Amino acid sequence: MIVYDKRLLDNLVLVEEAKSLESAGFISKEQKDLIKKELPAFKRQSNILVRLGFFLLGAFLYLSICGVISLFGLSGESLFFDICCYIFAIAGFAGAEFLAHQNYYEHGLDDAFILGAILNVGFAIAITTEGYELIIAIFVALASFVLYRRYLHLLSLVIFCLAASAVLFYGLFEFGSIGKAILPFVAMLVSAGFYFFTKKIISNLKDSYYYKGLLIANSFCLILFYLSCNYLVVRELSAMLLGIEILPGKDIPFAIFFHAFTLVVPILYLVQAIKTKDRIMLWISFLAIGFSIYTIRFYYSVLPIEVALTIGGLVLFAIAYFSIKKLKDKETGLTFKPDRINNSNALLNAEALIVASTFGLKPEVKTESPMDFGGGGFSGGGSEGSF
Amino acid sequence: MNKFDNQATEALLERKLITENQYQEITVYRSLNIFSLNAELKFFLYLSVLLFTSGIGVLIYNNIDTIGHIAILSILLIVIGVCFYFCFKNSKGFQKSEVKFEHPVLEYLVLAASILTCIFIGYLQFQYKPFGTHYGLATLIPTLVSFFCAYYFDNKSVLTIAITGLAAYVGLSVTPQDLLNNNNFYSDQSLSYSAIMLGVLLVLWTIYSSRIQLKTHFNLIFLTFALHIISIASISNLINDYYGIWLIFAFILAGSSYYFYKVSHDLKAISLYVFMIVYAYIGFNIFLFRVFEHIDLADIWMLLVISLPAYFIGSIILFIKLIKTFNKQIAA
Repeated sequence: MIVYDKRLLDNLVLVEEAKSLESAGFISKEQKDLIKKELPAFKRQSNILVRLGFFLLGAFLYLSICGVISLFGLSGESLFFDICCYIFAIAGFAGAEFLAHQNYYEHGLDDAFILGAILNVGFAIAITTEGYELIIAIFVALASFVLYRRYLHLLSLVIFCLAASAVLFYGLFEFGSIGKAILPFVAMLVSAGFYFFTKKIISNLKDSYYYKGLLIANSFCLILFYLSCNYLVVRELSAMLLGIEILPGKDIPFAIFFHAFTLVVPILYLVQAIKTKDRIMLWISFLAIGFSIYTIRFYYSVLPIEVALTIGGLVLFAIAYFSIKKLKDKETGLTFKPDRINNSNALLNAEALIVASTFGLKPEVKTESPMDFGGGGFSGGGSEGSF
Repeated sequence: MNKFDNQATEALLERKLITENQYQEITVYRSLNIFSLNAELKFFLYLSVLLFTSGIGVLIYNNIDTIGHIAILSILLIVIGVCFYFCFKNSKGFQKSEVKFEHPVLEYLVLAASILTCIFIGYLQFQYKPFGTHYGLATLIPTLVSFFCAYYFDNKSVLTIAITGLAAYVGLSVTPQDLLNNNNFYSDQSLSYSAIMLGVLLVLWTIYSSRIQLKTHFNLIFLTFALHIISIASISNLINDYYGIWLIFAFILAGSSYYFYKVSHDLKAISLYVFMIVYAYIGFNIFLFRVFEHIDLADIWMLLVISLPAYFIGSIILFIKLIKTFNKQIAA
């Protein structure tokens, strides 16, 4: 099913490993360069900025090809409008196939064609079925899964996960209000089921090709599981879908369960992540804790936002400070010492760091700016700007 | 721990690409089973500083007329004093090269202290107007304090605040959102000139500081700001209709692209290189568009649409070549 040469995929893993070993100081730079030279490789852009640039260029190219196709089609009949998206999708598949045969992998150009193909499949089905969501979701899920299997394209897998959950939701909507009412529980059970399913596959996996994709699917299940029964999500969705108006003093059914779920699951994630040393789960647990705090504040805002921010900052500082103090001198296991091998299982973390270091300045300036200028209607900077 | 990493290491050993010794070393290290929270905890520190300072900022802003001013000022002053006390106590003093605090928390204390100082001076100016109507001065002083902290404690985050402050003194808002929305330059023609002057000034400063070996690792930050400020200012003026002014800016953009092409090779900074290419490409396309503006496109628009894919394929090939040569040259 995989279109790429397996040998090249193996080489990619080896070169990546050599890179992380070099940055960890186990092998010398010359040795890494030798390994890199020895093993033939894909045309691949590892720098996220460059890849983004090529993605944009690829998108332009794809659009211009679609433009040429429409130019010829327009002289035909109105039939063209019904089938144009199918043709565009086929162009996308053809482009992706061509690039894959030229050994482009994670390059940016291939991303543009693969994503464009999926998008156009969605549009095409939407035009044919006049916007029937369930069918659109099914076809998008199918297309993205096939593209993932063939090109090992991780973004397609993310789209597949989203589309598959959309299939679940829209499928339940077909059952009317009963389906909508049991939606949170079904989503919770399904995501839990798939979590253990993907976990099992990972532990039985022989080849590394599908490892990253399975990891993403696995993490997606964790996120969906948390969101499915989060109090805020359930309450707002039930207001939106079922049209229930929640009067003051009343609450949604099973409110206690949802409250407990919102509080317990993030902590469960955190404990489990530290126990199993699972970095992705750790980050998901951080995000979940943040969202739980937001949920609580959304309905029971005890403190005004600025006081909450100030106190939150202090509490967070204390937590970080004491954790650092505790972990600082440990040599094994859980520690504050930076890990020498920044290997691919720290993918999320490493990639976040790369983005942060290449974009570096932006997030820092952005976050500072509210008080320097934006909030600074009162600061000197603000007044200067208005001159 | 990912089992495939061990597999990969074994495969490297099998192919004789690493030695037996190295393999042993790696397996011993892996068996330590290290799970480092370094990045996470540092990120938390950073987040806590941001939460705290923005909380304080809003708090002061909302209560500006209610709580006693003196009380607020004195509390702020105490917090600033405490932060600076710890920083100075633990710092190794000013050094020209890169220095790091022994304890990672201090780095974030410096950040907190300088943000709070900015808030303090802003509040002071709003309430008591010590600088009168010299609003520039009220911007300049926090900027100077930030520059001092950045250089003394070797802190990059503070440096970015300082540069934004400097730009604000000139009358520019160079926060990324504003640069992207880029409404700075439409409203005011003369602002573009000062923006370009500021960019040139930053570039000159990097040249000077690398000559005297002063904090050379800061150069990338200065240059990044300079690149974005100059490029965006000139690109937004390329669409200017005022006589031939856009031609001048086309030359400026070409010159700055050439300079940053050189300097990105020297610094081995691919982020500078990529953004330089992107800006140059955008500028070039606008230039083409302006040249063709006077030709009647009605007759040849079909030809134009058909030739577009070829144009993009050509540019893709060009960019692949550019990136390849860059990677080769910085590896050499």
